[in-house]
Order: sequence, then structure tokens, then C-alpha cells
Amino acid sequence: MIHLIDELKVIPGVIGACIVSSKEGIKVTNLPSIFKSERLNLVGKHLLKLYSAGWMSFDDLTDVSLHFDESVVLARELEKGLLVFAICDPTFNQNLLTMSFNLLHEEFKLGNFSAVPVSAPLNEDVAAPVEATISGTLQDLLEEMKSALGKVLGPMAGFVFDEVLESWVEQGTPDFSRIEELIKQIDQEIVDRDKIDHYRQLISSVLQNFQKG
Amino acid sequence: MATAKDFVGRINQIDGVAGCLLVKDDGAVLGQTINDPEVYSTLLQMSSNLSREIMTSIGFSYCRHLSFNRINMQNFCVFPIDNYLLGIVQKADCSVAFMLERVYQLIGKVSTSGETKIS
Repeated sequence: MIHLIDELKVIPGVIGACIVSSKEGIKVTNLPSIFKSERLNLVGKHLLKLYSAGWMSFDDLTDVSLHFDESVVLARELEKGLLVFAICDPTFNQNLLTMSFNLLHEEFKLGNFSAVPVSAPLNEDVAAPVEATISGTLQDLLEEMKSALGKVLGPMAGFVFDEVLESWVEQGTPDFSRIEELIKQIDQEIVDRDKIDHYRQLISSVLQNFQKG
Repeated sequence: MATAKDFVGRINQIDGVAGCLLVKDDGAVLGQTINDPEVYSTLLQMSSNLSREIMTSIGFSYCRHLSFNRINMQNFCVFPIDNYLLGIVQKADCSVAFMLERVYQLIGKVSTSGETKIS
């Protein structure tokens, strides 16, 4: 099964793909490990619901596409309760991916699928949402910092920020007195000195406004 | 400040738009140029909620639009605009990129700094 979604990943702009079952969760994925399996499971379940909602209105529904600021998600139901979705850069070629979905769907109908172990670990404990431990005002600040990171790192910014934030919360009380620690950890992820300076410039006014209250 | 009917009327004039409807996030239909607005209104609400769930689950920041793509090419697009939802039925033979650009332009005119100027 993995070779079929690996073919999708070759398409320019496609970050990776995932096949998810409503009963068994993730069947296979080649998305980068930064996409945690429990999150992909949730996304898959929501996409299955979204697809079902669309199917109730349009009996000739083929795909559902969601166009976010950072990325596009394209989903196709292969059979009832089994869905393939790809996460792509906004500049991807949708026609090409749709055609590849058609080919993959044909392969599936011919039975050219065999289940293989999922590449991402499935049995990780689901941690409490990071947001639950952070105060409302600080949460707003963090959202702005995340948005600013998008201007520096592009489509992967959301995932990078969430990973760093999760680690920052684990290291101590999530409050403003530790914000410089968080920024330093983000700096390490950005790597490029010019981009670090640009990011710090983008968030400087946000931080000042937060301090003023 | 645009009225809902003005806004819907202008969206409907865009090349590639076969029909549209504007609803509040509680499902109340404010204006439409398509039949069966109640059916579309329910789909708008459900799809908007689910796209928000997906956005939160995976850590994306904002859903610009989502699209139900159909064999007959008359795709149905959903645009969240602050507390409103705009649904558009696309013409089969249209330039999607051009239509989306025009729709985003109009949305940009009524939605600034998180405050939608529709009455």
C-alpha cells in the first residue's frame, strides 16, 4: 500500500499522504514524523465526516479540498469508511494530484493493496492539548507568534511552532516570564540567522503590546 | 457597509459563479441566488465546523475555503467570513483560479481586521 502513496509524494508540492480507516485509524502514511499519528487520526475522522456530509448533498462527489493559509488538504474516499488524503503546499498542481488519486482509486478497486504496518507509531499516549494549560491572553500572543513564524518558515511553521510549544510547556510553567526561552527554541528551529532576525522583528511589536497589557 | 443582498448580488455576477448563498454562523440564510438554500445552509454549517476541527487538530491557522469537487464540475465552495459563511456553486466550464481571485477580492472588501461589514 505504501508504494501507492509514495507515488503521490513524488508530485511537486505534495508533502505526503495518508490512508485512514474509520474503524482502524491510520492504515499507512508517508507524511513527515512531525505529523503525529494521533493528530492524523483525528484529521482522518473529521475528513470522513466531511466527505459523508458532502456525499449526502452531491451523489457525484469525487474529492474534498480544504485550502488553509499554509497548506491544502485533498481527500478522496476509496470505499465506505476508507479515505486517502494528501497534505500539500498551496502551490501544488491540483489537477495532477486529482489524476493520481484517480489512478490510485483504480488500483484500489483492482485489489492491488496490501496492508502494511503504519510508519508512524500509533500507540502514543494522547497528551492533553497544550492550549488547555495556557492562559487566554498568553494563548492569543502565542497565536500571533505562530502566525508570524508562517511568514518566515512557510507551510511547516504551524507544525514546528506546535512542537516547540509542546516542549516549552513540558519544561516549566507556561507564562510570559519564560517567553524568551520559547523564542530561543524557535530560533534553533529556524536556523538561518537572517530569518531569525526577521522573525524577532515581526514579533517585537506583539511582545511589546502584550507587556503593555 | 454592504447589505447581505448587495454582497450576494455582486458575488453572483462574478464569472464562473452559477449561484450563491450567504448564511450567518447560526444557519440563518441572509441572501441567496440558488434553489434549496436550506439544504446548502446545513452543509455550510457542518463543513465549516469540521474544517475548523481539522485546522485545530493539525495546527493550521486559517481556512480560506473548502471545496466539494464533483464529476459534473459544478463544485460547491465554502468560504468562512468571520461570523458568516458564503457558499458558491461553480459553473462547470469556468476558470476556477479567476473566480476564486474575484471572490477573495470581494470578501477582502467586506472583511477587515476580523470585522465583517455586512448588514
